[in-house]
Amino acid sequence: MAGITFKNVVKTYDNGVTVVPDLNLEIKDKEFVVLVGPSGCGKSTTLRMIAGLESITDGELYIGDKLMNAVAPKNRNIAMVFQNYALYPHLSVYKNMTFALELAKVPKNEMKKKVQWAAEILGLEPYLDRKPKALSGGQRQRVALGRAMVRDPEVFLLDEPLSNLDAKLRTEMRSQISKLHKRLGTTFVYVTHDQTEAMTMGDRICVMKDGIVQQFDTPQNLYDHPCNIFVAGFIGSPQMNFIDAQVKKADGGYALCFGDTKVISDRSELAAYEGKTVVLGIRPEDLHAEQSFFKEGNSIKAYIDLDEMMGSESYLYLEYAGQKMIARVPARYAKRAEENIELAIDVEKIHLFDKETEKAI
Amino acid sequence: MDKKPSHARTVIAYIVLIILTFLCLFFFYILIVNATRSHPQIQKGFSFIPGHSFMKNLRSVLNDANIPVISGIKNSLIVSSLSAILATYFSALTAYGLYAYDFKLKKPAFVFIMLILVMPTQVSAMGFINLITKMGMLNTLYPLFLPSIAAPAVFYFMYSYMQSSLPLELVEAARIDGSSEFHTFNRVVIPIMKPALAVQAIFAFVSSWNNYFIPALVISDNSKKTLPILIAALRSADFLKFDMGKVYMLITIAIVPIIIVYIALSKYIVAGVALGGVKE
Ligand SMILES: Nc1ncnc2c1ncn2[C@@H]1O[C@H](COP(=O)(O)OP(=O)(O)OP(=O)(O)O)[C@@H](O)[C@H]1O
Ligand SMILES: [Mg+2]
Repeated sequence: MAGITFKNVVKTYDNGVTVVPDLNLEIKDKEFVVLVGPSGCGKSTTLRMIAGLESITDGELYIGDKLMNAVAPKNRNIAMVFQNYALYPHLSVYKNMTFALELAKVPKNEMKKKVQWAAEILGLEPYLDRKPKALSGGQRQRVALGRAMVRDPEVFLLDEPLSNLDAKLRTEMRSQISKLHKRLGTTFVYVTHDQTEAMTMGDRICVMKDGIVQQFDTPQNLYDHPCNIFVAGFIGSPQMNFIDAQVKKADGGYALCFGDTKVISDRSELAAYEGKTVVLGIRPEDLHAEQSFFKEGNSIKAYIDLDEMMGSESYLYLEYAGQKMIARVPARYAKRAEENIELAIDVEKIHLFDKETEKAI
Repeated sequence: MDKKPSHARTVIAYIVLIILTFLCLFFFYILIVNATRSHPQIQKGFSFIPGHSFMKNLRSVLNDANIPVISGIKNSLIVSSLSAILATYFSALTAYGLYAYDFKLKKPAFVFIMLILVMPTQVSAMGFINLITKMGMLNTLYPLFLPSIAAPAVFYFMYSYMQSSLPLELVEAARIDGSSEFHTFNRVVIPIMKPALAVQAIFAFVSSWNNYFIPALVISDNSKKTLPILIAALRSADFLKFDMGKVYMLITIAIVPIIIVYIALSKYIVAGVALGGVKE
C-alpha cells in the first residue's frame, strides 16, 4: 500500500524527443487516479515509468517513501494490466495467474485459493484450464485483470484496459474494476482516453496534454471548474461551447456581448477585460428551452443545423452569430433540424477564459 | 457452392500430390530395396522387388572391423544432437538479446553477425583447424558441435520469428510479474519460440548429420568417425571388396535417425504454439 510521487520527472526518449518535460504529481495511498489526455500526450509513458519499464531521464519517482529510479520492475511490487492483455500464450489461464506467485514462492494451496478467489470475482472459473487463444477478448481482459489481482501489489497500473471491448462489456468491466478497487484498497493508476471511464471511476483525474499536467482534481471539480480551455473542452460530452464575447460595462456588472445576446455577469475579475474579447464557455446542458430560464438579454435565437434524438434528450447542433454551438435539451422541448429555436443561457453556469492564455478567469 | 469444379480440383490436387509423393519416396524405396539385394543382383540393374540379402548385408556392415558402424552412429547422434541443441538455444538467446534490449552496439552487432552469415565454411577452414589444433581438440568430437553455438543463419531465423511472434509486452509482463531476465527467456520466450526451435533443430541436426567436410578434416581415429566418413570410406574400398549391397545398407542405416527426428519434431511444426496472448 503506497502513494506515488513524481518530483520534476523528465522523460526523453533515445531519439531525443522529450515526451514528459517536467512532471510533478502526488498520488495518494489507496487513491484511484485516472490519467486522461489526447493520444500521444504521454499517458502510457508516465505509467510505464511507474512500472519501471521506461527509464527516467531526470527527476525522482517515489513509491511509498522509497526512491524508485533505479529499482528494476520485478522489485517494485506492482501489477500492470496491458492494453493488449499480454497473456502468456503457452500457459493456461490458471498458470497465467500463478506465474508471479510461483516466482514469489507462494505455497501451492494458498496459490490455489487466490486464483479461485479472483476467478470467482471475474467469472473465470470455467476457463481456468484453457489457453488464452481459446478465450474471447473480454475473457482475456479479465484474465489479465485476474493475473494482477492475485498478486497483492502495492500499486495497480492499468493502461487502457477496456479499449478493446464492446460498449456493453466495457460498462460492466468499468464497474467491476471500481468494485475491485474498493475491495483491494490499493493505489490504482488508470490510463484512458475515454472520459466516461475517467469521470465514473476516478477519485481524482489528471488531465494531460503534451506531457504537461493541465489539472489534477476530482471529477466534479474538473467539470465545474476547469482551469483552462483545454480541460473544459476535454471533459464533458458533448463538448463545452466556446464563444468569443465582447466585455462591456453594464448595470450590475459587465455584459458579455455576442450577436444580439448580452449576458450580464457580476464577476469583478472582468474589470481588466473591459473592451476586450474573452472566451465564454457554456456546457450544452446549460442552454435551456424552458421559459423559467429566460431573462433580459440572455437568450439566443439559433438555427438548428442538425438534431440528434437520444431518447430522453436531444442534441441540437446550432449556428448563432457565426459560431457553432451544441445544446442538450429535454426531448419534449426540442425542435427539429432546419427550424429556429430560442434558448436561454444559464448565467450561473458560464465559464470565462482569457483568449490569449486560455486560462480560466 | 458449385460441386463439379471443386471435385475436379480435388482430383487434380490428388494427382499432383501423388506424383510429388512418388518422386520423393521413389529413391527411398530403391535405396531400401537395394539394401536387401546382393552385390551381383544390384549390378544386374534396377528392381522393384526386394531381394533376400537383408540380413547378409546387415551382418557384413556390422561386422566390418574397418567400418565401426555402431560407434559411427553413436558419434553422429552425439554430434548432431548437441549441434541442434546448441545452435537453436544459443541462436535464440542471441536473437533475444538483440531483439529485446536496447544498447549502443546493437546495430553493429547485428551487422557483424550478418557478415559472418555470408562467409563460407571452406574459407575459414584452415584457420579453424589451426585453432582447434592449438586448443588440443584435434581428433576429438568437440570441434564438430561446439561451433554450432554461433550459427548466424539460425540467429537470423530466430530474430525474424521474434519480430513476428514475440510481442515485447509479454517480456514486460514477465518482468512485472517478478521474473528475472534469464527466467523470462527460459520460461516465456523459449516456449513461444517452440515452432521456430523445432524447425531449426531439424535443419541443424540434418546438416550436422550429413556434414562430411569438417569431420573429414578433424577426425582421424576410426572410433571417432561419424557416419558420412564411414560411408565415404566404404565406397572407396578397393575393387575386390567393393559390395554395393553393403553400401546401400549403411546408407539406409544412416537415414533412419533423420527420419525419426523429423517425425518426432514435425508435430511441433505443424501444430505450432497457440498464439493468443496478444490481441491480433
Ligand atoms: N520508444 C519510443 N521512442 C520514441 N518516442 C516514443 C516512444 N514511445 C512513445 N514515444 C512517443 O512519446 C509520445 C507519448 O507516447 P505515449 O505512448 O506515452 O502516448 P499516450 O498518451 O499513451 O497515447 P495513446 O493514448 O495513443 O496510447 C508519443 O508522441 C510517442 O510517439
Ligand atoms: Mg498509450
